[in-house]
Amino acid sequence: MVLEVKNVSYAYKSQKEKEILKNVSMQFEEKKFYTIVGASGAGKTTFLSLLAGLDMPLEGTILYDGEDIQAKGLNYHRKHHVSLVFQNYNLIDYLTTEENVRLGGPKKPQDLLEKVSIPQEDWKRNVLQLSGGQQQRVAIARALASSAKVLLADEPTGNLDESTAEEIIELLKRTAHELGKCVIVVTHSKYLAAQADEIIMIKDGSIESAAEVFPGREDVRNIYG
Amino acid sequence: MNSFQMAWRSVIRKPIKSILLFLVVFIISLFFLSGMASRNASIATQNKTKQAVGAGFLMEANEANKHNRADEILAKKDDGEEGNFDGVNVEKIETEYGTSWRVWYDNSFQTLLINDIEKIAAVFGISQYNITTAVTAVNPVNFSRIEDDDVDQSSDLLCVSLIGNKDMELDANVLSGNVTIRDGRMITEEDSDVCVISEELAEKNNLSVGDRIQLNDRHDVVHAAVFEAEIVGIYMVQQKMTPAMSGDTYRSENIIFTDLGFPEKAEGSTSGALYEKAYFKVADVDQYDEVKKAIQKVEIGWERYDLIDNNGNIDTMSQNFNDLENVSLILVLVVAGASLIILFLVFVFWMKGRVQEIGILLALGTPKIKILGQILLEAFMIAAAAVVLSFTAAPAASKITADYFVEQQVQQADEQSVLEEGKVAKSAEDSEETVTGVSVAVTPELMIYDWLGVAVLVMVSVGAAGILIARKNPKDIFSEIN
Repeated sequence: MVLEVKNVSYAYKSQKEKEILKNVSMQFEEKKFYTIVGASGAGKTTFLSLLAGLDMPLEGTILYDGEDIQAKGLNYHRKHHVSLVFQNYNLIDYLTTEENVRLGGPKKPQDLLEKVSIPQEDWKRNVLQLSGGQQQRVAIARALASSAKVLLADEPTGNLDESTAEEIIELLKRTAHELGKCVIVVTHSKYLAAQADEIIMIKDGSIESAAEVFPGREDVRNIYG
Repeated sequence: MNSFQMAWRSVIRKPIKSILLFLVVFIISLFFLSGMASRNASIATQNKTKQAVGAGFLMEANEANKHNRADEILAKKDDGEEGNFDGVNVEKIETEYGTSWRVWYDNSFQTLLINDIEKIAAVFGISQYNITTAVTAVNPVNFSRIEDDDVDQSSDLLCVSLIGNKDMELDANVLSGNVTIRDGRMITEEDSDVCVISEELAEKNNLSVGDRIQLNDRHDVVHAAVFEAEIVGIYMVQQKMTPAMSGDTYRSENIIFTDLGFPEKAEGSTSGALYEKAYFKVADVDQYDEVKKAIQKVEIGWERYDLIDNNGNIDTMSQNFNDLENVSLILVLVVAGASLIILFLVFVFWMKGRVQEIGILLALGTPKIKILGQILLEAFMIAAAAVVLSFTAAPAASKITADYFVEQQVQQADEQSVLEEGKVAKSAEDSEETVTGVSVAVTPELMIYDWLGVAVLVMVSVGAAGILIARKNPKDIFSEIN
């Protein structure tokens, strides 16, 4: 178990009475591909933000390798424990493809760009000159550049066409199964969600059974105690 | 990739943002330099009436400085207080029309300082020097003065004028060749209680060399002590000497040259002598410019004096030139204030335009302080280039600014003079000084101040704009991006 969420609750500071996450507990393992699903406003992205150390829970703790992520600071957690991929790629617009990947961590960007199938002639180009699918691949390569064991993705296929999305899903699956990372993806896509090793459904700030949404999936997590 | 590499790439690859900041800082720096340089500008003026001092230099008190010093002294005294304040006399006069105030300076306040004169006299290349007193009106006791029978003398002081000299042959009237000795000799430094009178005065009173004339304080001609001076010479003039003021007291024929200490005694001064001019003769004319530079390096309070060379050029310190220093200071302060606001807005614009980048870097675990550090580094890179370029343009800009300020000051002074005409009593007629040049120098010291000023402004602006980002948590930034 690489990441563990223990009794986490969250609410905006201005509206403390309205809880977005309610006493959520959850465990994540390496080499597994998780998807988090749920209706808009259910608390998926907030949950991912807490896992990423972009914000702190109101109550409860998040543990990385058994240690509270706040112990060494959230900056440290974001730099060394997790890497992030976003729907809108979030690449730095004045850097080249290669430079964007180098930002992610110490690993050789060329190897990673090869791994995500970015042609060599695009490595020195400004990253905004690439297609949407390529940019998302670069974002994944940047996430892989760090030695973090957890890769968090928020709607990574949201802006992509079907075939490109499928390539990205495949890349994420390989990241989990071949590279041994824990991949956690927030998505609205039932297709993407169904590819996961485990599907987590968030409804009204709590984790609930996803069996109704994904009938036939015996591995769908059913959290009730 | 470290912050420097990131900053460099951002500066180079996002040129519009960089050019905008470059132009803003360039203009700010130029204004700063112009303001500072104008503050230290030296204004060359020329007074045609003071030309032909030969191979020497003439030192006189600077009138503007005299007024500035008096203003400073008067500002420190309590309202309604009368008396002598460091040589500035204030007297309350009650009339049927109300209260008015009379302000005048005593000799100790106006005189050239003997220590300063001696320091200049000691400069290598000065062979001789002379000190000349102010024209001093005293009462003739045992002789008659020359009067114009057609003029009503009721408003005149009924006096003669004394001009004391340390070495009469270096008096301006003698140097110009206008005054020459007809009988006897000139006055030298060793003389005491001696005088040289005009041939008209000698003729009228049947006086000759060796006779003694008596003079005393004009304010109390009956009781004041009488002082005697022996006539050692009788002079004649080619043209009548220009009177210091109107009235027969000051007419050319009634001017009596004396030794340096005599006028002070004869007028009954309680505040010492009033040395009005000092003349320094250059031994070797070929070394004139070198001697001038050496004189200017003498450590005295130069703002108190004008140094007039043989072309009539006057080196006046800028602080005496009305409010040039204050106006320049105001320019610098206004530029600093406006720059802070403009730079703050520029950096807020920068931050807003870079929310995504900031969010990405936060997601990658970069601390906020490091992100702000990168932005500051970028700002410094651009600012450094802008400041360096402004150094090349600064001399021209400073010149234009200083010229403009001086022109405004001259215009203001002229307007003031027209307004005051006939209303303000003046001790002597204003001399016709014209500004012949304004020289400004953008020195390395000014450049350092400029760079420091710009650096502080940039730092404060980035810091203030950075608060907008620093206060947000990363999740809020991502909400904005997405």
